[in-house]
Amino acid sequence: MTSRTTWWAALLVLALCLLGAACAGHQWASVPELWRALSGDDSLHSRLLLQWRLPRVAAAACVGALLGLSGAIFQGVFRNPLAEPYLLGASGGAALGATVALLVPLGLPQGLVLPVLAFAGAWGSTLLVLAVARAAGALDAAGLLLAGVALAAMLGALRSFLMLALSDETVSLQVVMSWVLGGIQTPSWNGLLVLAGITLGCVVATRPLAHGLDLLGLGDTVAKGFGLNPARFIPLAVLVGSLVVAAAVAYGGLVAFVGLAAPHIARWMVGPMHRVVLPASALVGAIVVTVADALARSVLPPAEVPLGLITAIAGGPFFIILLARRLRAS
Amino acid sequence: MHDPQGLPDTAAAPDTPGAQSVLAAQGLVLQHRGSRVVDQVSLALPARGAIALIGPNGAGKSSLLSMLAGLQTPSQGQVLWHGAPLQRLSFAERARCIGYMPQRFSPYWDVTLAELLQMRLGPSVDMDDVLQQHGLQAFASRRWNSLSGGEQSRCLLTTVLATDPPVLLADEPGAALDVRHRLELVDALAQRGRDRLVLVVMHDLDLAFAHFDRVIAMDRGRVVQDRAAQDLLTDPALDAVFQVEFDRIDAPPQVLLRARRKKEDGCAD
Repeated sequence: MTSRTTWWAALLVLALCLLGAACAGHQWASVPELWRALSGDDSLHSRLLLQWRLPRVAAAACVGALLGLSGAIFQGVFRNPLAEPYLLGASGGAALGATVALLVPLGLPQGLVLPVLAFAGAWGSTLLVLAVARAAGALDAAGLLLAGVALAAMLGALRSFLMLALSDETVSLQVVMSWVLGGIQTPSWNGLLVLAGITLGCVVATRPLAHGLDLLGLGDTVAKGFGLNPARFIPLAVLVGSLVVAAAVAYGGLVAFVGLAAPHIARWMVGPMHRVVLPASALVGAIVVTVADALARSVLPPAEVPLGLITAIAGGPFFIILLARRLRAS
Repeated sequence: MHDPQGLPDTAAAPDTPGAQSVLAAQGLVLQHRGSRVVDQVSLALPARGAIALIGPNGAGKSSLLSMLAGLQTPSQGQVLWHGAPLQRLSFAERARCIGYMPQRFSPYWDVTLAELLQMRLGPSVDMDDVLQQHGLQAFASRRWNSLSGGEQSRCLLTTVLATDPPVLLADEPGAALDVRHRLELVDALAQRGRDRLVLVVMHDLDLAFAHFDRVIAMDRGRVVQDRAAQDLLTDPALDAVFQVEFDRIDAPPQVLLRARRKKEDGCAD
């Protein structure tokens, strides 16, 4: 009963945020103007809204959902409320892969190479962090985060080096740069359909992980006692989580802290069971990024603030509060 | 290296004749950082019976229990489930056969008992029925960290037993309980031992000897005694296991143990 109310309330909030974000921009649009644009009006203003703003708003919501979902999977796998793809280097790995795809002439269509390399980067770096933390015997908050931070710094440096060494034309450098700072690329309506399909697919595809993530949260001993084989489940969950991260990074660049905050808000809303935490995190992530992207587009008109800056400014304090609480508890 | 007494232990086990061993250990060894935490343990456990596992700290009781539950892979030897290697069963199958209750349990997320039960039983089972059956409705929606240590143990044991596994391996389930609840728990475990196998690590020797049929004593990784409870209770070998001297106090219907430090230790300070 109450949980159903929570879901409807969250969906209502998302709808309102989408509407608000569609209105916001360096030229504000009223609701009737939006309606005119949607009903096929041919004025320039309507066409701009239909081709640029609306797909952008929807894409932001999708990227947010992917970020929230990936955060929930990472926190579940690492059993660590501070785990996040951005902090653990998974996003950095995806970004490195995507940078290679954008700057190195590989002779293959970029639409194919970029997602594959982004996924390979996210997967490889997550496995590396997992291995380093395990070798150090520390799957706890501090050990894991330190391994992730070290890896993220290395990946960032490698990516900067590639950018300096490989881009002889400033145009592509600018593309990479704006994307590294986090920013939603406005897709065509067809591109948006693909993104929406991927997002929905990810939400559905992660559902079978829910039970395993629940059991993992009981600790290895009890998880095994209740029938889970962590040695088999964790690599599978990391694989799926990396796919989600790669999708989020390919469409939204490096966006910090959404993957950290969304699962916390989701658990507060619906409790800790992953069957509900996963979709709820996606929903919360969608809300957060929709709002953040609207701010990014409208706070400094006509310039656009990188989305990653907005989420970092808002999410950083959130992370510090969580860290302080955790350190005090232990 | 091989312990010649390792195998005769099995034969000496006071199984009721003809009782099929449901769970058995064959020459189990567990190495940890160069030392043998468990050293050549062989055991045969019958399909029914309440068995206590006792011994001083660091004797290897918990390690033996987790290997028997299939949670830890032995360095040598193997665990047999109905005569076949336990390793061949999947974790899901092991979970159906063997209920394991760890000494310490702190979930990473603050779950409720209802959620914990759901993880064990699956979403299709009606939790209200299960909770009512165990008189735990009051705890259903309370978060784990708001429960007292004793309440947590009771809730965890209920969850472990919710699938009614034929074997229960419990690592000091009564440690955090008050007198009444500990008594109730040990009573319930002994009851369960009438038609199931219950193997429990116990530190409270009086409770162990009063409620369990068979007592296995471990010391430095080995099984040093494995006998009927009443038999071991009166044997000086028990004093040697714990390196104390026991006064055996007659308090019908049972004999209570009072430990004294050994004489040569007594002079030390």
